[in-house]
Amino acid sequence: MNSSQKLQKKREWTPLSILGLLILILFAVICVAPFIYMAIMSFTQSTTKILHWSDVNFSDFTNFNYIFNKSGFIRALLNSVIVVSCSCFFNCVVASMAAYGFEKKNFPGKELIFRIYLITLMIPGQVTMIPVFIMMTKMKLTNTYFALIVLIINAFGVFLIRQFMEGVPDELLEAAKIDGCPEYRIFIQIVIPLIKPVLISLIVFTFVSSWNDFLWPLVSTSKSEMYTLTVALSLLKTQYQTNYGLVMAGATISFIFPFILYVFLQKQFMEGIALSGIKG
Amino acid sequence: MSRKQKEAMQGIIYVLPSFILILIFCIIPIFMSGYFSLTEYNVMKPPVFIKFANFQKMFQDSYIIDATKNTLLYVLITVPIQTILSLLFAAFLAQKMQNKAGGFLRSVMFIPVIASSVTAGTIWRIILNTDGGMLNNILNFLHLPSVNWLGDTKTSLLSICIVAIWKNVGYFLVIYYAGIMGISKDLYESAQVDGANKIQQFFEITLPMLKPITYLVVTLGIIWSFQVFDLSYLMTGGGPGQSSVTLVMSIYNSAFKQYRMGYACATAMFLLVIIVVINILEDRLLGGKKEEKR
Repeated sequence: MNSSQKLQKKREWTPLSILGLLILILFAVICVAPFIYMAIMSFTQSTTKILHWSDVNFSDFTNFNYIFNKSGFIRALLNSVIVVSCSCFFNCVVASMAAYGFEKKNFPGKELIFRIYLITLMIPGQVTMIPVFIMMTKMKLTNTYFALIVLIINAFGVFLIRQFMEGVPDELLEAAKIDGCPEYRIFIQIVIPLIKPVLISLIVFTFVSSWNDFLWPLVSTSKSEMYTLTVALSLLKTQYQTNYGLVMAGATISFIFPFILYVFLQKQFMEGIALSGIKG
Repeated sequence: MSRKQKEAMQGIIYVLPSFILILIFCIIPIFMSGYFSLTEYNVMKPPVFIKFANFQKMFQDSYIIDATKNTLLYVLITVPIQTILSLLFAAFLAQKMQNKAGGFLRSVMFIPVIASSVTAGTIWRIILNTDGGMLNNILNFLHLPSVNWLGDTKTSLLSICIVAIWKNVGYFLVIYYAGIMGISKDLYESAQVDGANKIQQFFEITLPMLKPITYLVVTLGIIWSFQVFDLSYLMTGGGPGQSSVTLVMSIYNSAFKQYRMGYACATAMFLLVIIVVINILEDRLLGGKKEEKR
């Protein structure tokens, strides 16, 4: 650490900056408080909206037991896990292949197609949702994993990875080709390892959007065994209107999985989001 | 086959899977949606072409008019506030707290981003309850009167805006923070030598350097906000009355409650036009220098 950096570290705390700090801390508290409230509430048998501390019993797992045994929540959780992992996998495969094709190969109409890809990014999903729903209904594909997964794949991943792939040196690929390395192995063994950071970023992105997706699963599933977690939770809320403890237990379960993942992969989450921002 | 042709062939093969998917699930549906918007269609019977009747009906439909007003209001409240808050927080953290405590605050503020809007909506609905909800309890504790957050036509949309801001700030903060960290330290040092204080530095260096990122944050914010559905579906269901109905909710209701696919597609086309127009306007205002960036 050189002297100028040291000088910068020793910044004075003016009253204004202390006020700023307080506001920041207050906001951070507001960010977590609802989740703490949720977790505590889920240990009550409360059917009133008021949290009575005397109701809280941390050894009482009645709500969680009830949810796991009766309401098909486990199935919904499993569905969400299947849908999210498949979405992440296929999005990475399809998007990195396309990005490689666009960035490192030349074919007629390439830039025009890429431009069309960029335009599709602006289209809100609700515009395409109804025709897609009708297509899926006609092909009897509603209530399938296919329907839930396939819509996650979009041009964003291609765009994100292509930006990153500019940094992969052409000479390296040329050299591999001269050495007689077959095309598919250049892609799998040289390109994929080099774009790993952006793939992690795409996985984070896909994970968050797919895990949180609500409108499409709501529309495309009508059988309870195909519900995803978001749909199951929204139904829990309508079924058990006043059983607040139970609803909060459902919310806790749907929150805990992404949260645990976030705690372990915090850096990847933040970097993933930041990378998409800078590159965009 | 020449080398060039071979390469073109390979390129096409690599792009093909994504092209097919995007063609089937995005490009073709846009045109289908455009066609359906000119028809009366209930899925059971084939679509009947009725020209612009859906659009004429739409602009007299009080439900759609309210939904449009609410959505615009929602965008006008959430986008500026979440952009300014995330920028200020990021600037503060980058300037004063590039340490573990700052990192911890950033991680904490990111937590609402991870929760789905369904989870967030479920929790906040209970917190915002009129009788005994946590927020009103706090207000009462401070000797302030209770507010009927979700049950009053004056506050229902506002409550949804607050939750949306709460959920989004962490996301944009991370983007802004990374952007600020990317600004060369030399710029700040030379400004310090010139005697510029922290606030001047913010306006003279940070803000102009962050222009491309602000462009991204505002664009994403606008596109996402126009699509608001989950929060209002879970927290108020559009009510009371039509005070928190949004455009996407009206699309959902016409299509999947009333099976008026044509009408729903017309509303979706309307939403698309609004988003495109606003993006073009924003491009003129904030962007324009995009070419320079390259």
